[in-house]
Amino acid sequence: MQGVTKSYDGEPALADVSIAIARGEFAFLIGTNGAGKTTLLRILLREEPFDSGVVLVNGVDVSRIRGAALTKFRRRIGVVFQDTRLLPNATVRENVGLPLQVRGRANREIDVAVDDVLGRVALSDKGERFPRQLSGGEQRKVALARAVISKPDVLLCDEPTDSINPAHAREIIGLLLDINSEGVTTLVATHDSEIVNNLRRRVIRMDAGTILADEAVGVFNTS
Amino acid sequence: MTAKLNVLRYVLGAAMLGLWRNRTMTLGAVVTTAVMLVTLAAFLAINDTLNEMVTALGRKSNLIAYVRDDARPSRVTEIMQDLEQRPGVGEVVFVTKEDALRIFQERFFDQRDVIDILQANPLPASVELRMDDPAVLPALADELRGMTGVFESVAVPLDVVERLVSISNVSRAAGTAMIVALTAVALFVIANTIRIAVYARRQEIEIMKLVGATDWFVRGPFIIEGAFIGLVGATLAAVALVVMYLQVAPTITRLISFLPIATDVSFVRNLAVFIVLVGLVVGSIGSYVSVRRYLAV
Repeated sequence: MQGVTKSYDGEPALADVSIAIARGEFAFLIGTNGAGKTTLLRILLREEPFDSGVVLVNGVDVSRIRGAALTKFRRRIGVVFQDTRLLPNATVRENVGLPLQVRGRANREIDVAVDDVLGRVALSDKGERFPRQLSGGEQRKVALARAVISKPDVLLCDEPTDSINPAHAREIIGLLLDINSEGVTTLVATHDSEIVNNLRRRVIRMDAGTILADEAVGVFNTS
Repeated sequence: MTAKLNVLRYVLGAAMLGLWRNRTMTLGAVVTTAVMLVTLAAFLAINDTLNEMVTALGRKSNLIAYVRDDARPSRVTEIMQDLEQRPGVGEVVFVTKEDALRIFQERFFDQRDVIDILQANPLPASVELRMDDPAVLPALADELRGMTGVFESVAVPLDVVERLVSISNVSRAAGTAMIVALTAVALFVIANTIRIAVYARRQEIEIMKLVGATDWFVRGPFIIEGAFIGLVGATLAAVALVVMYLQVAPTITRLISFLPIATDVSFVRNLAVFIVLVGLVVGSIGSYVSVRRYLAV
């Protein structure tokens, strides 16, 4: 990301943001609400246009992707949205299997992959439930399972441990590290200081749409 | 190829599941479609019946051209053949002098003496025109009156004809305007109902796009659902229409038995097929258009 700016109705959301994340790296994006973390993730997914600058994801210039290329681009990125965005009228299995359904995979193959990933997030017994029948932490895990089932190159997570109990949060972070260890570039936006401080990973600190600091081994400094 | 078949299977399954899981919305859309189409179809049927009535009245208004006794029969035949080809002319009948006398005697059997005292038959032969479109009568009457070597006189109930023509024109214009307006309202309400159903599920569309679904993958189930809603709603409307027509038509025929209105089953059958097609097309296109606006994610 080089010199990226983005504003909403004249209000700057990102101002001259430049960061580089290497293939297979794990990084935290931290900052208070309104710092620009979600906007940055949305730009990386090409969910949101930006005003100026250059954004390359997997070597692809995000601002130039259109039509079928956008579909192909998004299939290489897994996302855990802040509000999970699970399909309310679909079961856990259907939600998790969706990225494979859109690729036209056979049902048998999808079933095997769904069983595997639900086992990984310890939700094998909840496959036939609907999202409304799950706790917040379980919904996050379903969202994570959906994000990784297609073995993406990049995983973007927006507040994956927000408003869930510490046990679920630790479980989710453990899963993120596992996934990252398989070579998936992982960027996690969070304001959970405990997790950031415990993991001692790269931390990109944001405030008011700018990068305040980029530390190879950072801590969550609330000051 | 296998991937495409898998997607097709998914799309069909997702459509059926979508209809079931959103059944309240589905039911609402089906009922709205049925009500709008049955209203439209009922109006089309009523309008057709009114037009039939006006046409039937038109058929009752005849032109009678009285043939001169010295007119050449071959010339009369020639004119009759020409008249049969004219637009608006339904039937051309030749009434001989003998027929005219017989009809007179039958109609005025209590005044037979009047005829009996005459040595010869005084009644002329005539050419009677039964019209499909009374609007052409005045011009036709003028034309026949000009053939003085063939016809003695031409009788035409002009005041009745003029009134009929104006009723027919007003009725057709009003009917057409109402049909256009009602069709627009019906299509708008059906399309809007589907739009609301799609709006309620716009987040689904966005999510599918963000996990890498193609536009057709997202759109497919919605189009099938829209087509299904349109088809079922329209079929209910068609059934209601046929039942109503079969129940109501005989009563109308009995009430206005003086008018030869055909209770045409083929008309109502065609109308039923037409509204089923309308339902299917509006349902599918309505969904296609409604989904399109949420695909730009």
